[in-house]
Amino acid sequence: MTAASAARPAKVASKRVGERQEALAGYALIAVPMLLFLVLNIGSILYAAFISVWQWNIRTGPVKFLGPNNYINALKDPIFQSAVTNTVYYTVIWVPLTMALGLFLAVIVNQKIRGRTFFRGAFYFPAIASSAAISTIWIFIMNPFGLFNQVRGILGLNPLFSLIGFGPTQDWLGDYHTAMNGIIILNAWTTSGTFMIFYLAALQAIPHEVYEAAAIDGAGAWDTFRRITFPLLRPGHFFVATVGVIGGLQLFDQAVQIGNVDGAPANSLMTLVLYLYNAAFKRLQYGSAAAAGVLLFLIIFAATLIQRRLFEGREPTTA
Amino acid sequence: MRNAPPPPERPGSATGVAGTGPTSAAVVAAGGGDAGLAAALPATAPQRPEITVVGDTSRAWRIRIAYFFLIAYALLMFVPFAWTVITSFKTLEDSVRLTLVPQPFTTAAWDYALNNLQPNIVQMFFNSFVIAIAVTITNVVLGSFAGYAFARLRFPGRGILFLLVLATLMIPDQLRMIPIYSIFNSIGFNKGVLQMVSIVIVLAISASSVFLLRQYFLTIPKDLEEAARIDGAGHWTTFLRVMLPLASPAIAAVTILQFQGTWNGFFWPFVLIRDQSLWTLPLGLTQFRLVGGFGTNWPPLMATVVLATVPILILYMFFQRYFVEGIAASGVKG
Repeated sequence: MTAASAARPAKVASKRVGERQEALAGYALIAVPMLLFLVLNIGSILYAAFISVWQWNIRTGPVKFLGPNNYINALKDPIFQSAVTNTVYYTVIWVPLTMALGLFLAVIVNQKIRGRTFFRGAFYFPAIASSAAISTIWIFIMNPFGLFNQVRGILGLNPLFSLIGFGPTQDWLGDYHTAMNGIIILNAWTTSGTFMIFYLAALQAIPHEVYEAAAIDGAGAWDTFRRITFPLLRPGHFFVATVGVIGGLQLFDQAVQIGNVDGAPANSLMTLVLYLYNAAFKRLQYGSAAAAGVLLFLIIFAATLIQRRLFEGREPTTA
Repeated sequence: MRNAPPPPERPGSATGVAGTGPTSAAVVAAGGGDAGLAAALPATAPQRPEITVVGDTSRAWRIRIAYFFLIAYALLMFVPFAWTVITSFKTLEDSVRLTLVPQPFTTAAWDYALNNLQPNIVQMFFNSFVIAIAVTITNVVLGSFAGYAFARLRFPGRGILFLLVLATLMIPDQLRMIPIYSIFNSIGFNKGVLQMVSIVIVLAISASSVFLLRQYFLTIPKDLEEAARIDGAGHWTTFLRVMLPLASPAIAAVTILQFQGTWNGFFWPFVLIRDQSLWTLPLGLTQFRLVGGFGTNWPPLMATVVLATVPILILYMFFQRYFVEGIAASGVKG
């Protein structure tokens, strides 16, 4: 009796010691990573918000309090407006195009056919190279005397192109009519493999029985895809679209690599991030650059919320 | 991001290492019972009877059409790279002609790329390599620390801290650019080698590394840890000796993804590196074309492109599985 009642508190106490040790171990392990996250991510957002209401000197810090003026000036700046237009245009075209390509490839590669591992690897291949390398190749291929213009000449497609207003030596990336579309195609090409992999993971989560049931009901391939696969992929669509939009709104690398920091030709490659970069490093207006950064963040945040709404809708019952 | 419906979790495949088999079949087979057994079940596909006997010819056609698209798209993937390699062996005049075999075949462009670049190509390789290796190491070490703690240790605030980590995925790098540039400037990290150090600090830990490792630690059976505990091992020993070796597939995936991402990275070097001698390969490649005076000197540019891509290409050929499955796993983040 006495032994038992003495043992219980001891056990509880040792359990408590164990818990405290576990918690301590946990804190010790997350200390450094958490510190970095807090300072470099959470901290820098707050710092950016702070900088954005000041005229800011990179060495000495705040110069003059401006309140919302940095925001107002950015929103009134025609170059900022065209940066928003360009960035949104890019995202709205590029994301659905790349999603469609990725889904198409995933559905084909997901079949039991020979060489699927090879094709999967091949389609992901462009995604492993750096944006700098890819952009350089693209500029070379799309230049007036590049591979693209030469091949379409040989294939006899030039009449077709002149019908839509392009001569045989069209400078695709140097003409402001076509430069952004050139980047859209470039990035659809490099990212379709990545989206394919996301979609493959989502496809494999669809239970086999669903397809068996469809086959028993005599559904054809297209009906099966349209009525079963596509709706059941809703979580996959949501994920890919979200990742795509977040990435698309941050377009920078290819715009700089192809049009330099000026967003050449004629501001057609001026993106939001490029505007931010120029505000900081060309005009040395760090305050308005920070304001542009906050606006970009708000746009991304809003876009993510809107997508949640769009994709939430009615949940497929079988999922 | 937090409430994103995550694509249904696939047991045992946090990094997809379980393979590409129809894991969902195993889940379904679990029915009302032994999940462990279900997970151990080989992913048997063809046990179901052939239902579509009628559709045999249409199936043959479907496969033919599928192959047509597969091969066409694969060609689209390879042709630009093949053209790059071919061009690197051409003269400038020949580089704008549609010749498949360089006429004349010359290694002049390679000579130029290997000897005449400013900074030297070896220097740029070194810079890229140092940054990529450092970032990879910090991500593996700090990522497995945090990943293990978030997966397996209980401590007050764990949930909210982990959410905070995931939330950082939504913060655009560009919003962080001004504060980070400002901070590094004011502490004097804008000079000399410290510019490289600042890049490593910025990239030292990414939420996706933590997430990927945490997801993997979650799939390791608890019994193994408990056995180690009973043998008297502390938390640290258990982590280091038992859990870390078991997580090697996830560590491999993080290693590959981080190395590749940093090697190819453009934004942070572009913002934080001012000294030409510290240029990384992507930075050099871009600057040579934009300001370096050989904007349309295609053959040496193409040789440099090949040189900058080869290390990743070699990694990809040997570790393709980890590339593809690491990407797929980071796709479960939701």
